Amino acid sequence: MAAQRRRASNRPVLYVAAGAAISAVFVLPLLWEVFRSFQPESVVNSPPSAATFGHLTVANYQTLLLGHDDIVRNVVNSLIVALLAAVLTALVATLAGYGFSLFRFRGSGLAFGLVLLAFMIPFQAVLTPLFLELHYLHLLNSLIGLALFYTTFNLPVGVYVMRNSFLQVPGEIVDAARVDGASVLKTLTAVLRPLVLPGIATAALYAFLFSWTEFLGALSFMTNDALFTLPVALSNVETGTYGFVNYGLLLAGAVIAMIPCVLVYVALQRYYVRGLVSGALKG
Amino acid sequence: MTPGTPTTLTRGGDRRPAPPRAARMPITARGRRDMRTGLLLVSPALLFVAVFALFPLGFGVYISLTNWPLIGAYHFIGLANYRGLVHNPVFLQSIVFTLKYTAIVTIPIFVLGYALAVFVRANRRGATAFRTMIFIPYIVGLVAESYMAVVEFQPSSGTVNFVLARLGIVQETTAWLVHTGLAMTAICGLVIWFAGGLTMMLLMAGMQAIPQELYESARVDGASWWSTERRITLPLLRRSIALSLIISVVGSFLAFNQFFIMTDGGPGTSTVTAVMSIYDTAFADFNVGAASAMSVVLVIVVGLITFVQFHFLQRDGD
Repeated sequence: MAAQRRRASNRPVLYVAAGAAISAVFVLPLLWEVFRSFQPESVVNSPPSAATFGHLTVANYQTLLLGHDDIVRNVVNSLIVALLAAVLTALVATLAGYGFSLFRFRGSGLAFGLVLLAFMIPFQAVLTPLFLELHYLHLLNSLIGLALFYTTFNLPVGVYVMRNSFLQVPGEIVDAARVDGASVLKTLTAVLRPLVLPGIATAALYAFLFSWTEFLGALSFMTNDALFTLPVALSNVETGTYGFVNYGLLLAGAVIAMIPCVLVYVALQRYYVRGLVSGALKG
Repeated sequence: MTPGTPTTLTRGGDRRPAPPRAARMPITARGRRDMRTGLLLVSPALLFVAVFALFPLGFGVYISLTNWPLIGAYHFIGLANYRGLVHNPVFLQSIVFTLKYTAIVTIPIFVLGYALAVFVRANRRGATAFRTMIFIPYIVGLVAESYMAVVEFQPSSGTVNFVLARLGIVQETTAWLVHTGLAMTAICGLVIWFAGGLTMMLLMAGMQAIPQELYESARVDGASWWSTERRITLPLLRRSIALSLIISVVGSFLAFNQFFIMTDGGPGTSTVTAVMSIYDTAFADFNVGAASAMSVVLVIVVGLITFVQFHFLQRDGD
């Protein structure tokens, strides 16, 4: 290992070749599934053979998106919930981070502890009581209810990131705004916002990815097919609720579920990594 | 951060480097207004956490002491739900199974993540791109990948058998997901591949925070790569190691998605995880009281795992 690494470190070509091989292990299976999703159902469901290898079609996507039981509404449900959760998390976490960092008030430490406590509560463990509570609040089978649930369990990370963002703003800037007589909200929206925007992006990104991929909560709190989010709707495809099991459709659906994650992450990854780093170093 | 400690520093009078911001605020009319504003600003977050996390937690404890029915009146039955758990073979089996699963995947995820972190931590051409690609399976999420795995682990038609049969490892007709041992192998393989990137990122962040001078002076002393890693990196990485292990162990212990999608707990109940047995008890058997008791046990177990690991790994650190 040591010898290998030293050799590699002396030869950039070797490092890049090794890196490409390692990366392929993680990316190729996903690319392979994208390719497979364009194979007709008969090819996906039968033994692989060279003869049918090149038969490609968009039939799976057509059936899935334009068919009778289309999953477009499930994609839209997922988008609504994930975007709503992202916006709510960003907004609530920004306000809280502002309050926890730049204002001094009685019980501040306790309040911060309570928010972080939600981080220690696995949401899987409050599923049953939360189901009953959402029922009483008429938030079962509700995209808004689901988004509120997702927001709550993304707040600890969000508030933590935002508090750190505000603490990194030079004190002179905050003081100058106050001396100028800017109101609390005006200071936030006009003076501080650009400075903490990366933190806001981090909080929103985490909430979006969490909500887009979340399964157990959506499975438990949604009983109406029309309100299923995409990951839950795909379990209907898997078990053949549409009359028969069609693995071509399942692959196409999984690829659709995968695309926003990859796009959003590749575009905004430095914000994602920022969140990981602040958690890793200070958590 | 003790609240209410009076400070009388005035603006501009304090030029020490980076004091806690809050300590610089004077207790004046503005200070009092600040108190109200501060509380107002954090109250939405508090409301969310109180309503959708803390209340359900307390409510769950309350329900676990009753025979809560879906409709109608309920009665307190003391600890009967908890006593019932001891005689619930599916729940006990699910706890043992989940612990076994956690024990199997934790070390491979950590070793893989560590090796990957060593590989991508340097500031070299290509390192950033490799990080991104290795992390993609984690970003895509286990749910979409489990659906893909269902297709690819099929006998006769799946890619896994196609490849492994040609390598002479399995038969073309091997049915992975209907056999306990094979299903476990498939799921563990998938999860290690999925989670290795997260451990890599967490450890890499920790490694990059170690001052480079330490490595340079070690190099001057002629220390080998392994001794540098053992004497400098590992001790200084304690916090990151603790964090990555806690995230990985707790995540494994709360496993649900991949098992629900790939085996649905089968064959029989042999791959039912702890969370799945709670889900089934609550939403298939409608036994809300018992499910809540299981949830309370789960919170305690997860809390203990976190506490033990944190203290074990932090003890000689810092």
